[in-house]
Amino acid sequence: MTADAVRRRALWQILLLLAGLLVLAAISAGSVILVNQARDDSKWVIHTVEVQNQISNLLLEIRRAESATRAYLLSTSPQFLAEYEASSGAIMPAVDRLVVLANDNPAQVINTAKLRVAVAQRLSEFATGIDRTKNNDVQSSVDILRRGDANQAVQDIANITQAMRAEEGRLFVERTRTADQSQQWASSVTVAGSGLVVLLAALSIFLVRQSSNARDEAEARLRDSNIDLEAAVEERTADLREANEELQRFSYIVSHDLRSPLVNIMGFTSELEELRGDIFKRIATLANAEPVVPDTSGELPEPALPEQDKQLSADFTEALDFIKSSIGKMDRLISAILNLTREGRREFKPVKIETRELIESIAATVAHQAAESETQIRIEPLPGIESDRLAMEQIFGNLIDNALKYLKPGVPGDILVKGRSKMGFVIFEVIDNGRGIDPKDHQRIFDLFRRAGTQDQPGQGIGLAHVRALVRRMGGTMSVSSELGNGSNFTVTLPARWTGHNRDKQT
Amino acid sequence: MSKPVTIIMIEDDEGHARLIERNIRRSGVNNEIIPFTNGTDAVNYLFGKDSTGLDHRGEALLILLDLNLPDMTGIDILKRVKENEFLKCAPVVVLTTTDDAQEIKRCYELGCNVYITKPVNYESFANAIRQLGLFFSVIQVPQAST
Repeated sequence: MTADAVRRRALWQILLLLAGLLVLAAISAGSVILVNQARDDSKWVIHTVEVQNQISNLLLEIRRAESATRAYLLSTSPQFLAEYEASSGAIMPAVDRLVVLANDNPAQVINTAKLRVAVAQRLSEFATGIDRTKNNDVQSSVDILRRGDANQAVQDIANITQAMRAEEGRLFVERTRTADQSQQWASSVTVAGSGLVVLLAALSIFLVRQSSNARDEAEARLRDSNIDLEAAVEERTADLREANEELQRFSYIVSHDLRSPLVNIMGFTSELEELRGDIFKRIATLANAEPVVPDTSGELPEPALPEQDKQLSADFTEALDFIKSSIGKMDRLISAILNLTREGRREFKPVKIETRELIESIAATVAHQAAESETQIRIEPLPGIESDRLAMEQIFGNLIDNALKYLKPGVPGDILVKGRSKMGFVIFEVIDNGRGIDPKDHQRIFDLFRRAGTQDQPGQGIGLAHVRALVRRMGGTMSVSSELGNGSNFTVTLPARWTGHNRDKQT
Repeated sequence: MSKPVTIIMIEDDEGHARLIERNIRRSGVNNEIIPFTNGTDAVNYLFGKDSTGLDHRGEALLILLDLNLPDMTGIDILKRVKENEFLKCAPVVVLTTTDDAQEIKRCYELGCNVYITKPVNYESFANAIRQLGLFFSVIQVPQAST
């Protein structure tokens, strides 16, 4: 999976979460608004009922006043008069209340105005009736009552209240429907929102599942590729090891087989040398006019060669000397290669080494040389190491030998060996005040058969190559820092505990 | 009187063979030297057609053996000689270029009597062979068992 896809997936998840949050917020807001609306709607419904109720109350009060008036007409009992007064007193406030209640509706406002007029009319009629009765004019009151059915005010009241009731009935139906609708809206919004949230959750789960699947897959792939990588590394290491062994075998055989012809060349060159002696002796004998006679001690003196033959003899000798010195050199190189390959084939055995003791013993073996060149070898306390003893001896033996070999003429030598531990490695330094190495030769001195500086010391150019090979085999590194004329500092870094594993060999 | 000792020289390099022979002669050894330049011929001669070594019954042999032969390793020949009932008493001098400690040890384990590394330096080489010649002149070689 690419990084791009991962980013897209993350973006998607964030978007989903945001969408979920928005939907929830919308549902909450919608619900609040809709519930408020529903409450308002119900209030209006209640309001309608209240208006109807008030109309009924008003009519009831009017009826009560009417019946009290009639009862008073019939009985003139003061009890009914009191009743009349109570109910007629309640009528106008009831009308006022109705007016207040119904003032939201223009149609009802007109109706209530009309009603007020009609009720006032009716009240004054009641009042006239009561007054007549009080003045004992019952008969006219009865007459008025008899005409009561056809009374205009009664009729108006009935009509107006009828109209108001019808209006309120209509409003009631309408408002109930609105309230129902609001409720329905609220519930459907909730349901839809919940559905949406559930859907988003499902989508989220799907995406999470998908991404975790992708992750698992990627992990599996990573594991696989790790295993592959390990196998590849193993394979390469095996190849390298094989190649290395092959190279070792090759150099061993080559150096070995080179030696045989060298024995012949050397042998027959020596034989030639002998022959040369014989031949020139013969030439001299033949060239000499006088016969060679034994001297007093009875030995034959060496006959003198003529001048041009002497030159020939010298040329012969020179040629043979060149051949012999070259063979000598070749033999030393071959021996060096042989030794190196033999070292390369040697199995290392890690043991605990008191490094300081080891280096002191090396210093002791070169004490004579050191004394001759007035060199002091100082050894600081050194950390112990677990490594191959012989290899360690060869490494430091070579480095100290070199330091002693390449001193600055006329300056007493000073060789310092110091060391420290650092993160599982031990870093040793061999520091001298010798003639130093030109920085351009720093790489070269580690190459086989290569040397640097004035060639005034015997050597094959093998020591440092060998040392570096050993250090590498033990899983370490080595480096040099030096300037011409200012001494050298060889640094060897080795694992504090070499377990037998390294770059080209496995135990 | 027993037969004079015959020196069997198994050496693939004719130059070496010549140098060895010369230096042995110089040390005053005049025994017969039979040279072989490969292992097969040497083995055929030593063990005969029937591979038993019966042919050399009663003879006194001294074997000069090089380890690096073109067709087989000298170690095989050494092993077979030392395992053969007629030849096992014959002294075997391994004269080779190898100076590997393992190889030397192995040869002595197999019953080699002397192991000499050929020095490249001819003086050392000649010296070594001459001393070997002197050694040959004083050494008592038993006859192959009958």
